[in-house]
Amino acid sequence: MPLAVVLLLVLSIASVIGTVLLQNQEQADYLHQYGPIWYWTFRSLGLFDMYHTWWFLTLLGFLMASLSACLIRNVPRMLKDMRAGKVSIADKSLQNFHHKEEWISAETDIATLQTAAGTALREWELKSTEEEGCTYIRADKGRYHKWGYILVHTAILVILIGGWMSVQFGFRGNMAVVEGAMENEISFLKGTDTEYLDMPFEVRCNDFFIDFYPTGMPKEFRSNLTIIDGGKEVLTSDIIVNEPLYYKGIYLYQSSFGDGGSKLKFKLFPLDGGKTRSIETAVYQTWTDPKTGTSLEITDFKPFNVENMANPGQPKKFKDLGPAVEYIIRSPGQDPMKIKSFMNPFEFDGHNQGMLMLVSTTGDARDYRTMALGLDFTNPKEWQLYNAFLRRIRNADTSNKKANFEAFKSAMEEVFGKERPADFQDLGMRTLQAISMLPKIPWAFIPMPESFEQKYYTGLQVTRDPGVNVVWIGSAILVFGLCIMFYMPHRKLWVVLKPENGKTHITLGGMTNSNRLAFEHSFNEIVTRLSDAFGQSPEQRGKV
Amino acid sequence: MTATTSTAPAWAALNSGKPAFLRYYAYLGFLAGLTALALLTDGGYNEDTYIFKLVSIAGGGLWGIGGALIGVAAGFMLSLAKPESTDSRIARNLLPWLDGMLLMLVIAWGLSLLEPHQNLVTYEDQSKLISGRIIMAMNVLFIFAAVSYVMHLFAPAAFIGRMGTLSAWIATYAGGSALILRWYESYLIDSEIGHAPVSNLYEVFILLFCITSAIYLVMERRYQARAMGAFVMLLVACGVFFAIWLESLGQADIKPLVPALQSYWMKIHVPLNFIGYGAFAVACAAGMTYLLRDRLERSKPNGRMLSLFPSLDQLDQLAYKSVAIGFPAFTLATILGAAWAAEAWGGYWSWDPKETWALIVWLFYGAYLHVRVSHGWGGKTLAWWAVVGFLVTLFCFVGVNMYLSGLHSYGRLS
Repeated sequence: MPLAVVLLLVLSIASVIGTVLLQNQEQADYLHQYGPIWYWTFRSLGLFDMYHTWWFLTLLGFLMASLSACLIRNVPRMLKDMRAGKVSIADKSLQNFHHKEEWISAETDIATLQTAAGTALREWELKSTEEEGCTYIRADKGRYHKWGYILVHTAILVILIGGWMSVQFGFRGNMAVVEGAMENEISFLKGTDTEYLDMPFEVRCNDFFIDFYPTGMPKEFRSNLTIIDGGKEVLTSDIIVNEPLYYKGIYLYQSSFGDGGSKLKFKLFPLDGGKTRSIETAVYQTWTDPKTGTSLEITDFKPFNVENMANPGQPKKFKDLGPAVEYIIRSPGQDPMKIKSFMNPFEFDGHNQGMLMLVSTTGDARDYRTMALGLDFTNPKEWQLYNAFLRRIRNADTSNKKANFEAFKSAMEEVFGKERPADFQDLGMRTLQAISMLPKIPWAFIPMPESFEQKYYTGLQVTRDPGVNVVWIGSAILVFGLCIMFYMPHRKLWVVLKPENGKTHITLGGMTNSNRLAFEHSFNEIVTRLSDAFGQSPEQRGKV
Repeated sequence: MTATTSTAPAWAALNSGKPAFLRYYAYLGFLAGLTALALLTDGGYNEDTYIFKLVSIAGGGLWGIGGALIGVAAGFMLSLAKPESTDSRIARNLLPWLDGMLLMLVIAWGLSLLEPHQNLVTYEDQSKLISGRIIMAMNVLFIFAAVSYVMHLFAPAAFIGRMGTLSAWIATYAGGSALILRWYESYLIDSEIGHAPVSNLYEVFILLFCITSAIYLVMERRYQARAMGAFVMLLVACGVFFAIWLESLGQADIKPLVPALQSYWMKIHVPLNFIGYGAFAVACAAGMTYLLRDRLERSKPNGRMLSLFPSLDQLDQLAYKSVAIGFPAFTLATILGAAWAAEAWGGYWSWDPKETWALIVWLFYGAYLHVRVSHGWGGKTLAWWAVVGFLVTLFCFVGVNMYLSGLHSYGRLS
């Protein structure tokens, strides 16, 4: 097999590895996934950042060398071939043509026949000569076909050089800018390490917005950025996903976003019936209760949580469940739990269903289980009612329905006085739910998100790429070359006029270097045209 | 094999010489007019408003028809100045495609009149939209076509072959029109949601069927390669079953576009890619036909089935021809994909699995062309090459979405 083809196949097989093995992930994840033996094997081969390893780059280097060698070896010959082109042709070669036709014409004036053929082949590039009594007409179409090969090979070389320039003289990294804050450092992965680079300017994120579709899918991410160069604000602009910002040779792209440390207020509801209190914390911070040792590590905050509320198979029904906080709660003697807690009570069919909490004991969001707490914690009266009720039934026999009812009634009176709230029946059901649910909670208190001051960070991709234009030039040449190669086949025709016994013997031969099927079609047309021109139907001999 | 087209004289007159040439220029002028509308009016191209400009009388109507008239005039001048230019090969080859697309547009417009009232269409319940039913009809027709073509191999009655061809043609037009209709429907649901129907796996599958079948049908008409149809339509029918499965997963719903896809690049990058994929599918079918014929020649040299097949040399050429259509389109699609990536992700190449597999496909067919053109290979080896090449393409298209993650994750099954 030719060397170039082997190289192409080896490159493609090598490329497969990097698509199967996820590239540039956390090292800990790799270790966890593959185990120590495979991890170190893969790591020493550089497979976690495969496309930048010495051996992959060497393969690309070989490809470049092979392309250069091919160009150096063949271009002079091809250029010469395209310039020259023998007009006469040996009888023997003509006999071997795939496409051939012959006529015997009574016309003996060669010039007349030559003009007739010239008119019939007017779109062709014609040359003629006379040798040993025979007149040769050579017609060419797509004589520059070989430029196709030259351009395609050159283009690949140019693209590879452009890619090398991008890697060598450019950079590509990430920058996270919290709303209202400034940043000028980007980080990127090099092999297995993270490296940092300072930009020649600072970026301030003034604002970050997300716009949603009614289905809850994000519709647009938009950052309002200001570039500060040498202490002066030089440029303020919005960027969205497909519309980056350009400054001093550097592009800033909208690539991700996340919580930038939103301030949160929690209200803690002690399960021993004590007084509630409020605490302040923020996303990415951990708050620890000095008394009980229970800690809340806030991991995320989302102001919108749109979910499909329909049963599977039913038409979809999207609903925003409102703001939610994710945190990990750790309590002495307890396993840590991951919680997603909604700020507002859950409503269904116009009825208040109380608070929902998603609880995962494994720490994995896929294992979330819904826990209905029953109470609407945004209404302080409900918590009072719960406690009043709990106090009354704590020492009573809970199986006595009537006693329970009396206890509830008395608790209602304590909290609401004479005026019952309109939804007191719902409230009763939910209080019972709370009575069965809340005492199972292992912590000293129930933390409920109360209010928030939201702040995003915008994730920017920052790049400089001096090779990109070289790549585009190479690409343009590539497409242009391919078009010549595929759609401008070199077609050659020879018309040989040979005086014979007072008549003229005319032979037509044609060949093409690609797309034979289409040529067959054209050749038949030419035969018809020449027959008209010579006023003669072709001889039915020697036809292939 | 001679390339023949047997058609009625009036029809033939309309499709050759000056009428065809002027029509071609009318299309060019029309498209140029719409491009000018996008670029010149009201401060340049705006993704959200362009489609509304396009369907308005003052926008698309005026600019499009104006452009078409200017195109006809330009074509007419050209035909006077250079009479031989009316025989342009490009015009002759592109015209049937442009005609076909116009016909699809007209069919889609006709069908859109049957669409339920906008108030009855909601995002949550898309069952009343009719494109789904047309796609179902297309599915049935493609399967019927596959059955007919295969039957035709065993019972070579011209009638059965014609049934296959006819149903494949109808299915192709049904699929193309249904996609255009789906575009319209996405705006019917909500103008915010509206987008070109090339945004998820289900939609691009339909596109792939239509392109594959159209490329094949044009070849069949020109080169009478009906035996190959059995393989092309079998491939399409397999795809149809996959698409039906996707539909059962709820993938057929029109969904809004994620921010990364909100770009005019999507409308260019995706269809071009599928021209490549479709052409590679036809090349694969030609390769399979070649291998079958090769086998039959050795086992049953006088078999009746053999007489239906194009010769080995012709099949070899047909495979090459398909690759010659697919490879430049695929190259351009990959380059434009890189251009889009440079605009959206901040780098023209990220070694994302989809990109890398596109490169693998490109290298594979590049090697195919290299051994063919420079080293004169052909025959059985390259027939196998075309078949394996399509498997690689298929993995690039579906496999990457199913098994590998990466930046092209919107094509994922979820």
